[in-house]
Amino acid sequence: MRILLMTVTSMDVLTGASVPSIMDNSTEDYRIQSFDVETQILLKTALKDPSSVNLKKVSDVIVDQSLKDQMFSKEAGRICYTIVQAEAKQSSGNMFRTNLLNRLQQEFKDREAMRGHSLQEWVCYVTFICNIFDYLKVNNMPMVALVHPVYDCLMRLAKPDALMNEVEVDCLVLQLHRIGEQLEKMNSQRMDELFFLLRDGFLLQEGLASMTRLLLLEILEFRAGGWMLSSTAHKYYYSEIAD
Amino acid sequence: MSDFHRSGQNYSSGPSRWSHCRKRGNDGSLRTHGGGDDEWGAHRPSDSRHSSFTTPESAGPVSRCGQSDWGSQVEEDDMRRDVHRDMQRYRRRILGSDATQRERRTSSGSSGSCDSREGENMETDEAVLLRRQKQINYGKNTLAYDRYIQEVPRHMRQPGIHPKTPNKFRKYSRRSWDQQIKLWKVRLHAWDPPADDCNGKSTNDDTLEELELGDVMDIELDFPTLENSQDASSSLNTLSFPAEDQDCVGTPVKVQRTESRADPDMMVKKPPAEPFIC
Repeated sequence: MRILLMTVTSMDVLTGASVPSIMDNSTEDYRIQSFDVETQILLKTALKDPSSVNLKKVSDVIVDQSLKDQMFSKEAGRICYTIVQAEAKQSSGNMFRTNLLNRLQQEFKDREAMRGHSLQEWVCYVTFICNIFDYLKVNNMPMVALVHPVYDCLMRLAKPDALMNEVEVDCLVLQLHRIGEQLEKMNSQRMDELFFLLRDGFLLQEGLASMTRLLLLEILEFRAGGWMLSSTAHKYYYSEIAD
Repeated sequence: MSDFHRSGQNYSSGPSRWSHCRKRGNDGSLRTHGGGDDEWGAHRPSDSRHSSFTTPESAGPVSRCGQSDWGSQVEEDDMRRDVHRDMQRYRRRILGSDATQRERRTSSGSSGSCDSREGENMETDEAVLLRRQKQINYGKNTLAYDRYIQEVPRHMRQPGIHPKTPNKFRKYSRRSWDQQIKLWKVRLHAWDPPADDCNGKSTNDDTLEELELGDVMDIELDFPTLENSQDASSSLNTLSFPAEDQDCVGTPVKVQRTESRADPDMMVKKPPAEPFIC
């Protein structure tokens, strides 16, 4: 059972917070390799000289890709943050941020339909919005406007039908590892509410995959430990011990 | 089965930290959302409104009805933080100058101006400050302003000649403030970029600009003394103002388009060189 966790795709769960970034300015950090060349140029220009590009188009491009590519959506917040900073510095504008947020909001409104027609897209969306929440801070504070929407998404993932899908559970625990603590600070009551659902799911729901139960138990312990695992718990969940 | 985990055995008898958040009481029955649980109140979009919802003009939480799109919400939060930070800085400055003023007065024996009591008479209503800040931002978010501050550094500004941003922390009536803003923006137009590339209205613009400045020189020049809204309106009637403002009288046709596009509900970024002073 323990070894199982190591093979889970959500390897980020192991590292807890996001992977420490390379401190150089290489655009490889932004993982834009998946874009076509023309778009890569657009993005690189946006990073250096935002007022020279159509920022609405840039935000659309980023959102569209995030909905298709989970690897990208996991770290897209970083490139977004840089563009926001660049625009603010260059022209005191926040057109990019505004467009990005409004686009996110549009997708949020239709999230149930999105989930209905593509679980993958839905999961990418949640990953993306959580990543934006993580990176796009305003005066070092997360954006208040995103708090409830993020909770709404996570609550959706904690519902019984979603718990039956490993991709959704995977996404849920990953986000909680990355932003749970911050989210709780912004609104602890909703976190409590979320965890009631998780406890219920773990205890009561029939037909859950064993991996799902493992992930749920781990996240319950993680939060109970103040958003970190005790070393013994860590050993239980993450070390490979020859049985 | 559904309430086995809610049975009394494993719970302390007193209310737990989370009992006020629970959807279910200890007997398993669903609590109604209203029931004294204020915490549930405001946060769901579909909920009935929080009891502290107030109309936009008054102080207090304005909440979701104003701007429901995330972009504007975040911008407003941004602005709110900036306003609070500004307020602190302003207070410190005023307190500092209050102290020195008091010293000077007692030593020289002269009677103090009303400036010394500025700290006590400061505008602190967040909604008012936010609204004023937005108006100021519209004015500053123009090419004219950019060119102005590049051309005339702050320490070189001469009162009366160079427009000064209205002080949002001073107490003014709504009307007085709005007119100060309009006047300030009109004066800023003097720094509009040359309108060569527009519909050939440049000559009119130039003469009008001179006219504007000329009129402006005649009236009260230092904003802080425009305390009385009546003074402001009577002296400003001679100036041309956009027709949209019901306070204004006899707007010359040429000036009519001055601000109809610059205010306030539009997301105006740096407008291209358009002949606002028309």
